[in-house]
Amino acid sequence: MAMILPLRPPFSSLLRLRPFPLVTTSLQLARPLSKTQLPARPKPPPDSEIEESFLKGSGPGGQKINKTNSAVQLKHIPTGIVVKSQATRSRSQNRKIARDLLALKLDELQNGDQSRTAIVGDHKKKKAASKAKKSARKYKKLAEEKAAASAAAAGGLTSGEEGTQPQVLEVRQDIEEDDWDPEEQEEDEENHIPGDAKIPQRDNFRDGDV
Amino acid sequence: MPRLPPSIFWRARREISPVASLLLPVCRTLQSTANELRWIRDHVHRTPSVIPAGIRIWQLCEERSRGVPLQYLLKTQPFGPLEILCRKGVLIPRQETESYTFHLSSILSSSSSSSSSSSPLTILDLCTGTGCIPLLLLCCSQKSSSHFSCTGIDISARAISLAKQNLSHNLALIPSASSSIQFIRGDIFSTKFTSEIYAQHLPDAAEIDVLTANPPYISPSDFRSQTARSVRHYEPRLALVPDSVPSEVSKKYGCREEDVFYARILEIAGDLKPKRVVLEVAGWEQAVRVVEMAQAQRDTRGTDYKVIEIWRDDVHGVRDAGESTEIWGQRIRVKGEGDGRVVYLSRLLD
Ligand SMILES: C[S@@+](CC[C@H](N)C(=O)[O-])C[C@H]1O[C@@H](n2cnc3c(N)ncnc32)[C@H](O)[C@@H]1O
Repeated sequence: MAMILPLRPPFSSLLRLRPFPLVTTSLQLARPLSKTQLPARPKPPPDSEIEESFLKGSGPGGQKINKTNSAVQLKHIPTGIVVKSQATRSRSQNRKIARDLLALKLDELQNGDQSRTAIVGDHKKKKAASKAKKSARKYKKLAEEKAAASAAAAGGLTSGEEGTQPQVLEVRQDIEEDDWDPEEQEEDEENHIPGDAKIPQRDNFRDGDV
Repeated sequence: MPRLPPSIFWRARREISPVASLLLPVCRTLQSTANELRWIRDHVHRTPSVIPAGIRIWQLCEERSRGVPLQYLLKTQPFGPLEILCRKGVLIPRQETESYTFHLSSILSSSSSSSSSSSPLTILDLCTGTGCIPLLLLCCSQKSSSHFSCTGIDISARAISLAKQNLSHNLALIPSASSSIQFIRGDIFSTKFTSEIYAQHLPDAAEIDVLTANPPYISPSDFRSQTARSVRHYEPRLALVPDSVPSEVSKKYGCREEDVFYARILEIAGDLKPKRVVLEVAGWEQAVRVVEMAQAQRDTRGTDYKVIEIWRDDVHGVRDAGESTEIWGQRIRVKGEGDGRVVYLSRLLD
């Protein structure tokens, strides 16, 4: 207690508004969400369980035609799951993408809400909720600052309890935000799986094939 | 080609984009149209220009609608992990070529790990074009400890200059390339060809391990009736139809016009005695003729290929179905799926 007494008002108000145990809790909550705790990216099944087709037209090949179709379709024989990738112009890259996609699908099938997709999806939901909360606070802070500024302009208060409170709230958010960062990376990485599901409007064209 | 119904143009405009109706006649399906438009857009957004993106996209779609190959418009074609630069006047690498080059690479890596020799693996690629075959072989070998020494040969100055650009363009993926690949201009029908190659460019090569070639193989009649319009109009005939060979030269071989490069390459192989020969062909019938030409060398030149195989279009990563055939009493293994695409000859029992 003797430590707190010499503190100037802004710090004492910080302590009052945000007791440290809260921060610690939020750190503890955030940790399990970090990258290291996520299930590893599932491994594709062995090629002996995969039936692969390259979805090309019939007719002559080789030099006589210059195909741009690089689509790859995989069927997982034991489960019958079918995935397709035509994300890139490279067929060998599409083969890899399709295998990664198949691995995720199998993981979903086997592990349900403990699968990587489900856990990552969960994080994204929490992340979105936190973002929404944060921006709501930002707007609140902006509004308060505006109000404070106009009050100052009108010759009112320039400092004091009212002025410091929003800042303290902001400190707490910053800590929270830092903790979410590893997850943000994770999310970015996730976007790098250019699986078929990410291709807009795919299904519109499937039956249109001539 | 059958005409597309008007309804599909309407769908292309409505479901993809107004410019999609330009691409549809060359792409033929909505799916392929959507893909090509996506790649065109990606290309435009990745390459800065003073011209507004919308106009560039429209221009590229317009050129594509006239049949210009997508790879000449985007200036590249992926070939395994490599990005191969493509320019008018040089053949665009095909997916089948990529597939069998991968397959060849896996054969080479499994045999080089079992052999203890430390001398570099020597590869000679005739009719190299963009240089895609030796570049991919070298790329696949980067992880292994075996080193390669590759020589690519082409009659076209444009091809040789592009192959050299491809080498530097992909140097990040194949750091050893600058010291282990050379591209040389040369006519394989020149009578001094083997002596020049030996004397000037492969002086210390006691033997060549692999000879690869994807020579022009389309007969003039197939060129007219079976070759895609975009290929006929925009890719170099020199790369496709073997009719640039003087008739007195081709007569000497007494084979079909479209087989003349194989006759010559097998003759070169008879002199250089590579351990393996990999020849791309137009289809099953030509594959069988090339196998017979190789077998005929046993009697005329004493060249004995212990293993002869025919590989189909998709051979890399495709399960072996145990298919085989018999030609002139010799068992020929057939690998992969699709049409006949490669004749593989080996002096080793691998
Ligand atoms: C079908 S392209 C193959 C290009 C490349 N290897 C590939 O697989 O994409 C055939 C190549 O043979 C070359 N060519 C044609 N006649 C030749 C000759 N007499 N000697 C050497 N190269 C020749 C052409 O310039 C062309 O680049």
